[in-house]
Parts: sequence; C-alpha cells; structure tokens
Amino acid sequence: MLRVEGLSKRFGGVVAASGVDLQVQPGEILAVIGPNGAGKSTLLNLLSGLLRPDQGRIEFLGEEITQAPPEVRTWKGLGRAFQIVQPFPEMTVWENLLVGALYGKPNTSLKVAEGVVKEIIERTGLAPKAQTLAGELTLLEDKRLELARALCTRPRLLLLDEVMAGLRPSEALEAVELVRRIRESGVTVLFIEHLMPVVRALADRVVVMDYGQVIAQGRYDEVAANPRVREAYLGRAS
Amino acid sequence: MQTLINGILAAGIYALVASGLALAVGVVGIVNFAHGEFTMIGAFIAYLLFVGAGLDPFLSLGLAALVLFLVGAISYLGLIRPILAAPELNQMLLTFGLSVALQNIALLLFGADTRVVSTSYQGATLSLGGLSFGVPPLLTFGLSVGILAALYGFLDRTRLGLAVRAVAQNRLAPGLLGIETQQVYLLAFGLSAALAGVAGVMLSVMLYASPTVGFAYTLKAFAIIVMAGLGNLRGVVPAAIILALAEALVSTYVPGGGGWVEAVFFLVIFVALTWRSWRAA
Amino acid sequence: MMLVGLLLLLALMLPGLPLGEWRAFLLDSAQFAFLISALALAWDLLARTGQLSLAHGAFFGLGAYAAALAAPAVGTLPALLLGGVVTALFSLLLGLATLRLHGMYFAIATLAFSEVMRTLVLKSAFTGGAIGLPVQPAFGGAFPLGSYYLAVAVLALASGISLFLGRSRLHYAMTATRQGEAVARVLGVPVVRVKLLAFAISAFLAGLAGGVYAMKTLFLSPYDAFGLGRAVEALVIPIFGGLYTTTGPLLGGLIIVSLETWLRLRIGEGYLVVYGVILVLTILFLPRGLVSLFRRKGVGHA
Repeated sequence: MLRVEGLSKRFGGVVAASGVDLQVQPGEILAVIGPNGAGKSTLLNLLSGLLRPDQGRIEFLGEEITQAPPEVRTWKGLGRAFQIVQPFPEMTVWENLLVGALYGKPNTSLKVAEGVVKEIIERTGLAPKAQTLAGELTLLEDKRLELARALCTRPRLLLLDEVMAGLRPSEALEAVELVRRIRESGVTVLFIEHLMPVVRALADRVVVMDYGQVIAQGRYDEVAANPRVREAYLGRAS
Repeated sequence: MQTLINGILAAGIYALVASGLALAVGVVGIVNFAHGEFTMIGAFIAYLLFVGAGLDPFLSLGLAALVLFLVGAISYLGLIRPILAAPELNQMLLTFGLSVALQNIALLLFGADTRVVSTSYQGATLSLGGLSFGVPPLLTFGLSVGILAALYGFLDRTRLGLAVRAVAQNRLAPGLLGIETQQVYLLAFGLSAALAGVAGVMLSVMLYASPTVGFAYTLKAFAIIVMAGLGNLRGVVPAAIILALAEALVSTYVPGGGGWVEAVFFLVIFVALTWRSWRAA
Repeated sequence: MMLVGLLLLLALMLPGLPLGEWRAFLLDSAQFAFLISALALAWDLLARTGQLSLAHGAFFGLGAYAAALAAPAVGTLPALLLGGVVTALFSLLLGLATLRLHGMYFAIATLAFSEVMRTLVLKSAFTGGAIGLPVQPAFGGAFPLGSYYLAVAVLALASGISLFLGRSRLHYAMTATRQGEAVARVLGVPVVRVKLLAFAISAFLAGLAGGVYAMKTLFLSPYDAFGLGRAVEALVIPIFGGLYTTTGPLLGGLIIVSLETWLRLRIGEGYLVVYGVILVLTILFLPRGLVSLFRRKGVGHA
C-alpha cells in the first residue's frame, strides 16, 4: 500500500533520515519505534507532506506522492493524527470533525459529510461533547477528537503520532481498543510509539529506527531480541 | 563618500528607535505599533521646550527621557499589562489603536504643520579632509553612540540588566509572571519609550516635529529588528547602519530621490519579508 | 440576517424621507458610511482566513483610480467592474507573495505593499500624480442620486456575499485555515486556494467601493484615496462590530462612520482619533466586538 524507498532528509548538519526503506501492507498495523531523535517524527512529516525529502521516493496506492502537498495526500487517502493535538479551538467538536469530513475527499457534499461525522462521532465516543467548543476539552477528549477528525477524512492509511503520550494506563487501554477497531473498519495504521507494551499489544510488525536509519524490521519478538536494537536503546556496552 | 558619511550619521537615530522597539518586542513580547509615537512625543517635547523656554534641544534630552519613561510606564500599567495574556492579534490591534489615537491627538493639539527646531548652530559644519560633517548630525551620532553604549553596559554588567536579558531569553506564560518579572517588564517598556523619546528630541533638530513623523520610524524600526533577527539586541546597530546607508544612497543617486526613498524602503521590506518566508520552506 | 435586510431597506428608503435642510448633507454622509461599511465587510472576509490586511486602503484606492480612468472610455458600470477586477488581480499578486507570512509580518508586508502602490500612483503621470485626478460623476451626471444608489448597491453586494460565504461550506474551510493552517492542510483543506480566493473577493469588493467613492467625490488624490485612514477604518470597524460576521462590520460601520462624520464637523483634522480610541477600548473591554453581546457558541452565523 505504501512504499518508501531511499528517503533522506537533512537539516543543516543533522541527518534526520537516511536511506529509509519500508513498506506498509494493506490492513496491517505497523509500529515505528526507536530512541529519541531517531527520526521517527521526521519520517511522519515526510510521509504526510509537511516536509519534502532531499532524496528518495514515496509511493502510495501505486501513485508517487513524494512532492505532493499535504492536502493532496489526504485526498488520496493518507491521513494523519498529530501528537500535539491542535483542535480548532473556536469551533465545536462537531464542526471540527465536519472540516475533516468536508475536505478530506474532494467534492464531498454537506449532507454526505454530516453523515460521516455522525458515524464517527459515535464510534469514537465523542457524541456527548458534540456541541462543546474544542478549546474546552480534556486531554483524553482532545486525543479522541484528533483521531476522529483524521478518521473523518476517510483515510485508507492512517499515520498516528504517539497518541498514547500523556494518557493514564486506563486511558491508554481504551486508546489501544480504539486503534484496533479502526483497523477492523478497514483502515491500515502506521503508528509511532514509545511505550513498548502498547507496541507489543497492537503491532503486527515493527520498524526500528536509529539516527535516521532503519535498523531492523519484523515482528515484535524478533525485533526485541535483535542485538542492534538493544544497543540503540541501551547504548553500546563499553 | 559624503553620502556614506551622511548615511552613517543618520543611523544614530534609527539605532536608538530600533533598540527601543527591540526591548519592547524582545523583552515584554509586545509588538508595539505605537513605538514611533513615543518618538513623536519626544520631538514635540524638544520643540515646546525650545520655543517656550529657549532650551537647547540637546539639553532637554534628559527631561524628555524621563517624561517618556513615565509615559511608557503608564502605558504599560494601564494598557499593556491587561492584555499580556490576550492573543497576539489583540495586542497588535491595541498598540495600533494607541498609535492612531496618539497621532490624532497630536494633530488636534498642534495641527498638521511640521515644527522645526532651528538652533543657532543648525547649519554649521565641520570640515575634515575634504568631507563636511554637519554639526547637528555629528552631535546626534555621538550622543546615540554614547547612549547605546550605556544601554549595553547596563544590560551586560548590572544585575538588573542581567534580569532584563534573562527575561528576554526565556519568556514565561503570562500566568506565571512573578513580581520580579513584572518589574522587569515595566522597566523594559519604560526604557523602550525613553529611547524612542530621546531619538525624537534629536529628530526635532535633524528633521522636524510633526504628529505623523513617528509613523515612518515605527516601520523602519520594525524593519531593522526583523533584519537583525528578533531577540538580537546587538544586531540592531549594524542593521540600522545598513538601512541608513541605503536611504542615503537612494536619495542621492536616484533621480527624484526624495519621494522614492520611502517607496524603495518599503519595497525592500516587502521583498525581504516575502523572500525570507519562501526560503524557510 | 434580518437586521442586515432592515438596514439595507432603510438605506434604500432614505432619499424618500423628509429630511429638510439637512438632506444633501445626510445623503452625502450616508453614501460615505455605506462605502466604508462595504470596505469593512470586505476586510472582514479576508480576515476570516486569518489574513489581517493593512492593504485595504490600497485596494480602495486602486479601484477608485482604475474606475475613474476607465469611465470616460467604457461608461460607469463597466468601469466600476473593471476597477474591481483590476484590484482583485493586484491582490492576487500580494496574496501569492505573502502566502507564508503570518501575524505581524503579514501585516507589515501588506502595509509595505500599500505604501509602494501609493508612491507609484503619486509618481505616475497618467494618474495625475500629486495634482490629482478629476472624475466624471456616475452615469455622466444623468441621475442625481446615481452615486447614492450605487453605494447602496455595493453595500448590498458586500453584505450579500458576506452572508452567503458565512453560510456556505467555504465557511468551514476559511475558519479552519484561520484557526490552524497546518492542521487544515492535513485534513485536506485546499488552504492556498482558500486564501487566494478570499483575497480576490475581498479586494474586488474593496475596489468596487473605491470606484463608487471616486464617482461620488469627483476628485481623487493619492493622499486621500490611498491614505492610511481607509486601512484603519477597514480594520477597526469589524473589530468593533464583531469579527467574522456580517452584522458586525455593517452595524459597526454605520455607527462608527456616523461618529467620525460628526467629529469631523466638530474638530477637523484629528477626527481619526475616534478610531484609535475605539480600537483601544474595544480590545480592552469588548474584545469580541458589539456582536458578542448577542452571541452563542461555535462559529455560528450572523
């Protein structure tokens, strides 16, 4: 579904991504992990179009999108939820979702969009807060909003950026369930995460990054046993 | 060459005004559109003292500085502090409104005519090596250098100055402002106004005092601090010099110079702003 | 919306009312109020995308000059339309250049643009330069109330477009662009198109208003047509009245311009002070404008 080849990006002297190759299969949940500064967020920005790579190629559903602007990627079905949630503060929850539903795909009528919002607001448990201003939500509600809004754009592949950050364990469990249900509804998921229990619970496959490069790929158990991965996280034994 | 000299001498006023604005923007975090009006007030103070009490403008510098410091402090307490927590847009609008109000109040009080301060040594020049230095510009330049040196000395070497720089480096959310930070804000804003006012005094001699004279200086000051980079107090001086030189060059070498200087200046700002914004892609 | 309709109706009826010896003055002031309110409505449209312009004085002036220059050749109505279109085209240039500028930088850039335009007009021979440009009256003076009704028409058009956009799908796109441009893009909002469209519509309306203004005052000078006063009016009125609404700029415009006109009679040159003071007071005490006194939640409509 998504094919990344040789993606590279540097900022001045810092190499944020170097020759990244990876693929995402339809229907899977793929986790991208790695120590801080490994380049995970940069990867997500490159994928969603907020950054353009210096080198490399991104192909989504058979089309090349390497240089495409963010809106176009969303229209083609590549959605994204941000780590630091930025709701539209002066709009209600409903209106926030409506933006995603109206513009996520070209030529969506208001009626169709409202239908989408209705469905997703129920699914993500936000219905009671539909008329609340987004600026007044709690953190958990914010995150649900972020997720719901991204879902309203009807993505085929959803990029999630550390959605568990700041959640209490009980809330994290709920979030994990939500992501599973998202996959069940037919959306492929690529997520960045730091919490290993979450990764182990959710991910079909794991990609490990360090210093902008992919250093391992595979199932969680394989990757966890990989000595290079251990080194990356724990540092070289002297 | 003469043009260059004229340019550099004129930079003094620009540097003063821009440094004042840099304090307001960098320390207090307020985009103060009314900054030029502090200069205008300074110019009128000098004019009034000159016409009313025969006081030489360069002697009224101290008084102007004091008055403007008070004006700045009062503005801060009454108008700025209440909106420190408001969105940036509101802050800009408030200072913009203040600017319009002050300009027009001056217009009501003094009319639109320009008031020139004509000292006895107005036209005097010093000749050195074939180049002539006007005495007022020379004095202005010298004083500017002195004042700015004192400012940097204050910021670098005194405890209070250190506090000011610390606040500039690390502005906290308004809700977390302790008493000390508020005092720093007050000081910085007052200083900002005082610097502008002192520049205004000099301006009354070099140019004239008029209700709208400050407006152009607000813009130029913004251009200078944007060029220097926000938060970079030291960069203000070189940037001011560049601007002054550019103006001098244009007014000398471009036919019909006078009217075009402003337009060229604005064109440069426009190009600089837009070009930078695209480069940061 | 009812209020808007009511006000427009009043405007239409005004010449028919018994106004006594004040008639000429009132109609003249009313025209001015309509045009400035239209300008304010236009400014507000652009503000909905988060672009707070200081160039609307220039748009007004461009429309004025363009219409004035074209009228002898093509007649009143085509000239007005042409003025609007020319202004819209210039605004697209500005809009494209400033796409990546926000807040203070955007404002300063638009101001710089405005000043450059003014100097160009000042220095150009064909615009009459500093001496000014005499303008033909609307319809060659055939209808005594010609420019009055043109002013009403422009106000009605501006109000109509403002209302329409406020209730259309585009409203969500504009609001999203304003409240979070990067996020909006990721949600699929075609931000560039939205911003440029807003520019074009806003400038077109401003230019139209300028054109009618030219035909009303019968004489244009760069200091007047491009004066910062217009830009200030254009922004203070929506803020005082209530941003991102139609009632706000309309009501606010009529109130403030009436105040301005009265002050201009009383105190001459410094009358703009009212704008400054009102702006300061509004930000301090009523930051969401007059309309906030009647508001409900969400972005709503009005």
